[in-house]
Amino acid sequence: MQTESRSQSTATLPVVLIVDDEVRILSAMRRMLRRERYEIVTAEGPFEALALLDEREVDLVLSDQKMPGMCGVELLAEIGRRHPRVARILITGWAEAVEEDELARQGIQGPLAKPWEDAELKEALRKAVAMVVARS
Amino acid sequence: MELTSPVVRIAVLGSGDVDSETHSDDTLAALRRLGPEAEIETYSDIESLAGDPVVAAFDLLVLDCDDSLLATKWLEVACKVGPPVLMVSRDDDDESALDAFRSGAAQCVRVGSDYANVLPATALELIHQWQRKREHGELERQVLQSEKMASIGQLAAGVAHEINNPVGFIHANLFQMSEYLQDLQGVWERMQVLQETIEGGRDLAGIRAASEALRDVCQEIDFDYVKKDIVKAVSESQEGSERIRHIVRDLRDFSRQDGGEPTLTDVNMCVDSTANIVWTMAKHAVTLKKDYGELPQLRCHRMQIEQVLMNLLVNACQAIEEMGDGGNGEKEVTVRTERRDDGVAIIIRDTGVGISPENIARIFDPFFTTKDVGAGTGLGLSTSYNIVQRHGGEIRVESEVGNGTTFDVWIPGGDERKGDASEVPIAD
Repeated sequence: MQTESRSQSTATLPVVLIVDDEVRILSAMRRMLRRERYEIVTAEGPFEALALLDEREVDLVLSDQKMPGMCGVELLAEIGRRHPRVARILITGWAEAVEEDELARQGIQGPLAKPWEDAELKEALRKAVAMVVARS
Repeated sequence: MELTSPVVRIAVLGSGDVDSETHSDDTLAALRRLGPEAEIETYSDIESLAGDPVVAAFDLLVLDCDDSLLATKWLEVACKVGPPVLMVSRDDDDESALDAFRSGAAQCVRVGSDYANVLPATALELIHQWQRKREHGELERQVLQSEKMASIGQLAAGVAHEINNPVGFIHANLFQMSEYLQDLQGVWERMQVLQETIEGGRDLAGIRAASEALRDVCQEIDFDYVKKDIVKAVSESQEGSERIRHIVRDLRDFSRQDGGEPTLTDVNMCVDSTANIVWTMAKHAVTLKKDYGELPQLRCHRMQIEQVLMNLLVNACQAIEEMGDGGNGEKEVTVRTERRDDGVAIIIRDTGVGISPENIARIFDPFFTTKDVGAGTGLGLSTSYNIVQRHGGEIRVESEVGNGTTFDVWIPGGDERKGDASEVPIAD
């Protein structure tokens, strides 16, 4: 699904940043999303993610929870402060450890469960990206 | 002097011939002063004691036997039963008392003027000590059981977490690979058509058409990309699968049941599988360094040794976590094994908070803990200490606040063992 109501005139693909400390997860997700119309960028950790966001525009960040240095909720909250336009989704194998209230407070969507359902993940991304693109 | 409930059971052991009957009567009379809550049973011959399984559950054994040779035989049997043995002595010298203690008697009471008071008082004290010890043993068993359940819960959570990612990406990759295969079907079909066209001797136009069709489908599916990515997907999935196998193997090693007898064990393997399991539960931040020496096989109770290792490794990780980002910044646990003095030494060093001089003398005490309420029962180290002791080994600790702690466990390889490592109050 792609909408063209961007300020830029050329049809640029929405940019999705995936953050996970497990490189094979990043690879599998990129592989899964190949047919979706996104530009996929990846970061292996929270600090790498923040640095990347300073360098380029991103429409959506999908982040894992358990990472060294900063957990997903903390990262996504910080991204919300620095780049309020960006849609943020949390994915985690440890849903019980995540406070849903905190997510709501920080405007973070999810949590999506790991292992994920391909269809569910794709749908969540499509909806979130559509909203971001519609707003811009 | 009288006991209050619950009932205690006392066995009075004696030789049973006429003269001793009288002596035993004195003893019986003195013990009856403990009141109706004291159930007293007499055993007049050694065989009846040796063959009776019930007596191990008694609270006290009192030996009153005149014949010193016979008394020695009685002592030998009685001290193996379990409850404390109180010996009655009618000799004037100290030799017989010393002999009694050497054989394992808990106390010796000399028949004298105040015998009627001294005997029951001493009996009472020994009974209370024994009951406290048994309660402690029972408590220790219960707490160990619940510690074990708690750590099984942690273990399960750790394992689930560790295999979660590999399962996730293997599953996703398999799905993508099946899509790739479908795409490739199209390519292979067109290849076949091209081949048949060439071999069928069709004209150049026909061949060109088939070739174009092949090129088209390759472009459509992005054949160059698929060609490379399918290989990558398989390889990454294999790595994930290997990781899962590794975890399953470590778990299997860890949960292997202990029989009653010590077995020849590869200590490096024990250390390695326990360390791997602990690291599935530890936070990523702590580094584990392994330094395994060449070790002889060790005759020991493998599960108990793994319990000690798990205890020390978990403590090491917690000490580092507690330090947070302070201290020297290092977050490392080193596990070293080496041959030492006809036995095996396992040295576990951490760069954690360390143990203060006031606490270090007490860390092996049962129930001593520096953790918050509910965070630990304080039995881990005392149990570990007991296990090592029963193997005839030694466990030593060196520590400096802010600089870390080193535990040194040594277990002899020979058969010199103090006590029996298989009588252990540990839940299976």
